[in-house]
Amino acid sequence: MKEDRSSSNDRKYSNNAITVYWKPDACVHASYCYRELIEVFDPGRRPWVDLNAATNDLIIATVDMCPTEALTWKWNDEKKNKTVGAEHTNHVKFRRPELMEEEKPAVNEHPVSVKIMRDGPVVIKGNFTLISGSSRKEVTEGILSICRCGESYHKPFCDGRHRKTGFNG
Amino acid sequence: MEEKKETGIHTEVEIIDSGPLRISGNFILKDLQRDKESVPGELFLCRCGKSSDKPFCDGSHKNK
Repeated sequence: MKEDRSSSNDRKYSNNAITVYWKPDACVHASYCYRELIEVFDPGRRPWVDLNAATNDLIIATVDMCPTEALTWKWNDEKKNKTVGAEHTNHVKFRRPELMEEEKPAVNEHPVSVKIMRDGPVVIKGNFTLISGSSRKEVTEGILSICRCGESYHKPFCDGRHRKTGFNG
Repeated sequence: MEEKKETGIHTEVEIIDSGPLRISGNFILKDLQRDKESVPGELFLCRCGKSSDKPFCDGSHKNK
């Protein structure tokens, strides 16, 4: 039986070996996917994901860079998913080594990661207090993607507009 | 010049109204555009896209 708790916007794409899952609601427009592998992840194309445009190794490495659950992947052969261990089936944790580093358990002492994305937003990851006007909110292991181009329709958050306006910065 | 600020382990992220993004405390800045990494303690990041000192705010948002 298939678990179905996905929102209607969610999509999945398959080739003969893997399936990539796309949850647009989780996307913070960090833009790793199309910067790393535009052949496969092309936001200007429909459908925007083409799993036959690169090797599976490359696709997997790129999906693993996604800082959120927006892009995840699985082997089509369920047996293979089991034999590669829990960290691989939990795709959110299955990352490139340098991205794994940020997720080591020493929660509170661990510095917050602030990444300036190339021609894109600033992506903030970790535990911090978010202040806006007079409101203060404690964020635990959160991910925030803040607009740097000034063009987002959903300020202060990035909505991907930098790509359309050709932001350079 | 290594200026280490004792800001404690707590990190604050402040969206300044019609202004920059202020971040202070325990954080690592990784600038993938300029391939730089630093531990500034506090900084103000441009949110308007007009700064000539990106990613930092230079006050350009005020000259509309």
